[in-house]
Amino acid sequence: MNVEFKNINKHFGPVHANVDINLNIQSGSIQGILGENGAGKSTLMKILSGFIQPDSGGIYLDGKAVLIDSPADAIKYGIGMLHQDPLDFPPMRLIENFIVGQRGGLVPSYKETIKEFKELQSRFGFSLNPEAYVDTLTVGERQQLEILRLLWMGASALILDEPTTGISAQQKEKLFAALKILAEQGKTIIFVSHKLEDVEILCSKVAILRKGYLVGEVPSPYDTDQLVEMMFGKVISLGDRNTVAQNDVVFELRDLFVEHYPLKIENVNFQLRSGEVIGLAGMEGSGQDVLLRACVGLLRPVSGKVIVKGKDLTNKNYLEFMQNEVSFLPASRLEEGLVPGLSLAEHFTIAGEEKKGLFIDKEYFREKAENMIDEYHIIGRSDSTVESLSGGNQQRAALALLKKSLSIILLEHPTRGLDIESAIYMWGKLKERCLQGCSIFFISGDLEEILQYSDRILVFFSGHVSPPLDAATTSLEQLGQLIGGKGWDQVFEIKENYESNANT
Amino acid sequence: MKKKYAWTIFALLLVMVLVLSACKPTPAPSAPAEPAAPAEEPAAPAEPAAPAEEPAAPAEEPAAPAEEFVFGMLLVGPYNDKGWSQAHYEAGEFVVEKVPGTKMIYLDRVNTADRPGTTAAQLAEELVQQGAKLVVFNSDDMKDDAVEFTKNNPEIFVIHASGDTVWADGENYVPLANMANLMGEMEYGKMIAGCDAALHTQSGSIGYLGPLINEETRRLATSAYLGARYCWDNYLEKDPADLKFRVTWIGFWFNIPGFTEDPTQVANEFINSGVDVIISGIDTTEGLVEARKATGEGKQVFAIPYDFIGACEEAPDVCLGVPYFNWGPSYARYVSSAMQGTWKSAFEWMPPNWENINDLDNTPIGYFSGPAMSQDAKPLLEKFIAELAGGLNLWSGPLNYQDGSEFLAEGEVATDVEIWYLSQLLEGMEGRSE
Amino acid sequence: MNQTRTRSISLLFQLGGLALAVLFVTIILLLVDAQPMEAFRLIWEGATGNPTRIASVFVVWVPLLLVTCGLLATFTAGLWNIGIEGQITVGAIFTTGVMRLFLDTSISPVLVIIISMLAGMLGGALWAALAGILKTFGGVNEIFGGLGLNFIATALNIGLIFGAWSRPGIASMSGTEPFPEHFWLPTFQNFRLSLWSIGFAVLGLIIIYFLLQGTHFGLRLKAVGKGMKSAFRMGIPTWQHMMLSFVICGLFAGLTGAIQVTGVYHRLIPSISSGYGFMGLMIAMLINYQAIWLAPIALFFAALNIGGIQLPIVIKLDSALTGVLQGSLVLFILIMQGIKQRFVGKK
Repeated sequence: MNVEFKNINKHFGPVHANVDINLNIQSGSIQGILGENGAGKSTLMKILSGFIQPDSGGIYLDGKAVLIDSPADAIKYGIGMLHQDPLDFPPMRLIENFIVGQRGGLVPSYKETIKEFKELQSRFGFSLNPEAYVDTLTVGERQQLEILRLLWMGASALILDEPTTGISAQQKEKLFAALKILAEQGKTIIFVSHKLEDVEILCSKVAILRKGYLVGEVPSPYDTDQLVEMMFGKVISLGDRNTVAQNDVVFELRDLFVEHYPLKIENVNFQLRSGEVIGLAGMEGSGQDVLLRACVGLLRPVSGKVIVKGKDLTNKNYLEFMQNEVSFLPASRLEEGLVPGLSLAEHFTIAGEEKKGLFIDKEYFREKAENMIDEYHIIGRSDSTVESLSGGNQQRAALALLKKSLSIILLEHPTRGLDIESAIYMWGKLKERCLQGCSIFFISGDLEEILQYSDRILVFFSGHVSPPLDAATTSLEQLGQLIGGKGWDQVFEIKENYESNANT
Repeated sequence: MKKKYAWTIFALLLVMVLVLSACKPTPAPSAPAEPAAPAEEPAAPAEPAAPAEEPAAPAEEPAAPAEEFVFGMLLVGPYNDKGWSQAHYEAGEFVVEKVPGTKMIYLDRVNTADRPGTTAAQLAEELVQQGAKLVVFNSDDMKDDAVEFTKNNPEIFVIHASGDTVWADGENYVPLANMANLMGEMEYGKMIAGCDAALHTQSGSIGYLGPLINEETRRLATSAYLGARYCWDNYLEKDPADLKFRVTWIGFWFNIPGFTEDPTQVANEFINSGVDVIISGIDTTEGLVEARKATGEGKQVFAIPYDFIGACEEAPDVCLGVPYFNWGPSYARYVSSAMQGTWKSAFEWMPPNWENINDLDNTPIGYFSGPAMSQDAKPLLEKFIAELAGGLNLWSGPLNYQDGSEFLAEGEVATDVEIWYLSQLLEGMEGRSE
Repeated sequence: MNQTRTRSISLLFQLGGLALAVLFVTIILLLVDAQPMEAFRLIWEGATGNPTRIASVFVVWVPLLLVTCGLLATFTAGLWNIGIEGQITVGAIFTTGVMRLFLDTSISPVLVIIISMLAGMLGGALWAALAGILKTFGGVNEIFGGLGLNFIATALNIGLIFGAWSRPGIASMSGTEPFPEHFWLPTFQNFRLSLWSIGFAVLGLIIIYFLLQGTHFGLRLKAVGKGMKSAFRMGIPTWQHMMLSFVICGLFAGLTGAIQVTGVYHRLIPSISSGYGFMGLMIAMLINYQAIWLAPIALFFAALNIGGIQLPIVIKLDSALTGVLQGSLVLFILIMQGIKQRFVGKK
């Protein structure tokens, strides 16, 4: 299907999110849409998929003007959108979720559908269990399910919004292979990302958005520097690693045993030193998120101890961890980090430790919010609600909300969905804190990020935890193999050594 | 997600509102259906407009008696409940017919469950606003409001049916010149019902479906028992020991699921334990309905409903008869006296017109013989009525209370006060007194 | 400038909703062969025709305002406190119970009234806390817990009226024995309206307005309501805040029950809550949970309630019609809000 945008304009209050966008996407091609956060990519895609309506301009499918009023309309026209966080019905089984999207037929035939499901997924090399519950799936698996479901519902154009965040290298490979098959079949693929590398291998053509404008279109092969310049208007490079770790232990796990179906994480022993950064690597769902939550009292360990600055906080709840200068920034910002519907000023009021009388000093907190907005380069106003901010700005806000005095910050995918500039900024801020003696414990799916910023690395593979590896002496290949489950014999040798050392 | 949730709840609330309003649609749709109403309808909108514009005028100027005399009625239940409230409503219609120059306005379902947030006194004032110069409170439940209203509105005449406030001999006496208390002496109706039951029972077992327990309901149940015992012993000449009279109280005048006992179930228990005549003391007709069901299944069971002359219509083939109130004549008397300025505050406990207890123009209570009455029983029942008319007093000794203590010694006759405030059931009756 | 434009558009849609609701009721009236203009005129007359009627409107306004104030606290915390009816009822029961204890003592009636009303507030708060406990520790959704507790409260109330607290010799639907006049909340001469209850209502409104708009506690409640997990991560003890919002709502509901007993009925009656709790839920939705509109909208609902009494008296229409008007008003205004969002944009 040929998809064409003509003169699309969209305002959100004072923000002009799409400015007169004209873009023609040929049937059978994989079109990349590049741009940093807030560039207007998501807005454009939401217009195509019926979630929002443009202020002016129109969409033409195979040359015919269409009015897409709702996501249901979009799917009727054959446009399916795969969201950053796949929208599905978690308490259901896979196959039920699948049947929900089925057209016609009062009584769904389970056997039939399961057979068709298996056939369909075998074409793409997916291996999902149709009887499994959706909430047990990893992000990558949900994504696969969502693609199958959209195809099943008759999508002939697929929009993928940042599909490679949160999925493993293998899952990414599978995804790309599947997308290529689909393009060959004549489907139109629109691939929205800020990851140059992904776009470069996959897309036949890429359109670059910046601040609401379509800056230009570039066909493959690409010149990376050119793309970066088009995206940011300037060339930037990753920041440097600087180790500031000291010797005093601020956080310790002793023989920790956590169980969270279907994972069992046993026998974790580990010390975090003041000023140290430790990265947790592993494929999504390998246990790093479980361990991180157990470290801050959000999950109860079966046995073992969690010690913060010499204090035993095992089985205490998160609020007590907070009182002991531990803070946790979860991955799903709007579900677990920020409160949708509240303004930035209100967030600073809640998070603030000062001016805690009965009544709120609104003027004071408005000013505080404005100062923070300046300091952290947040694009937004003190009375903007957090959900109106772009992902990167939400993350900056979350960072700005952290208390001044913290000993340990635990982060889950701190730069997921952020453009390079924001990511670098984020780490700059975090490193500033490390200099003041704060320790960082973070999960990332981006191995380069882990190698770049960590002092030591813990690798996870289906519930197994490696001993801490020195980041300076670990290579990307080695890390890639470990998270894929290779080379663990060696690791366990190290682990035994490490533990016997620790015991003596 | 949150939004959907809100909608669901809202839909639920709305459905509740709609169901609530649908539950009591009777007056609204039946207004046009009623034959009398359409005739008045064209005039209706214009008519009330006048008093509404100058609301104070009719109340303050008693100088306009040449115009219509408006009386208002507050009915505790629906005006068409085939029971207590309908009997009052029809009495109002009787007054309009018999006393020239009168007009009735009424408000039904006057109780806090149906009209939350209102009080009977407040609603009575609204009737006054519409021009009423006399207000009837038809329920014992409205006693406090009736008294409050009577005190606050000395220029308005008040009839409180079934009350005892202005009874000088009563226990709750408050002198109020503009109030009258009227009550038919239903004790006679219940005696006739009891006799009727005794004449028809094969098993000798009579069930009395009682409402809540208070002085009024105790004396009525007891009257039924006295009538049954008299006819059993004297007309049928059977062994007094073979007569079983059981009272089961459901807890209120009608079924309130979850709070009262279910009268349908109580009636069934009666039938299963051998009762073959059910006398109803409650305002609704479950006893009649269950008797018909049992009869349909081969057991001959009769029932005697209560309150309203038309109550037998529900199941005529098992209905032995119904003791009913006929408020019309007494209301007509009081309305006339109010109009002519001859009003006197009084407590009247009115016996039937013994000349003809079913003379609807003259009797305050009566007994309608139902289609199921047997030919053998008919003359005996007529004999009983004649004996009562002739002065037979069943409230005479020796009578013992249920606990065995003496109520009336040999030769003693109960006073009105003793009967009105009867404190226990009598010996020979089964069932709770408290 | 933009802001005022949004506001006037918003107002336009609200008025549209009002117009639709009136139209809807008009159609119903025409269907039952009544004259709509006459009916609306009667409602207006019935609510404002004379001082007594206006006073009656305020008698209804007070409890409506107070329960809705309470409901704003629970709505802010994201809770549907359906149990509000039961909380009013239990408040009334506690008030009656405590007052009965002091009837024959020599303690000053003023003190007795104060103690009884405080007891009523305590009762409402306890009943609300029970719904909160069921939710927090029993995992029972507050809607189902509330419905169950409503049922129990009603059963308890009727049980007391017909049982332990029934009048000497009789048990009656009219309630318990009325309290002597010096135990009543003082009223205006010749009116049923008590200046004290008006005072409570206004005070309650001011307290809830500032509590929710201006205090740290109110902001934290709002955060809990809008995103419980996030609020917890920001350091707010969430279940404690939900519990507190239940308790606050219960205090208001209990006070409502206490006023119904001491200021309106002067006794405990079976339907003491008068459905004000459910009406309060509707009002809260109608004002979009903003305290600022509460007083006028509650007054409007109260006026409909009182004015509606004229319908059955004068034109033999069921006064439940005003309930239909209230319900359809909420429905249409919510629909208009939905339409507005669709046309004017989501945020």
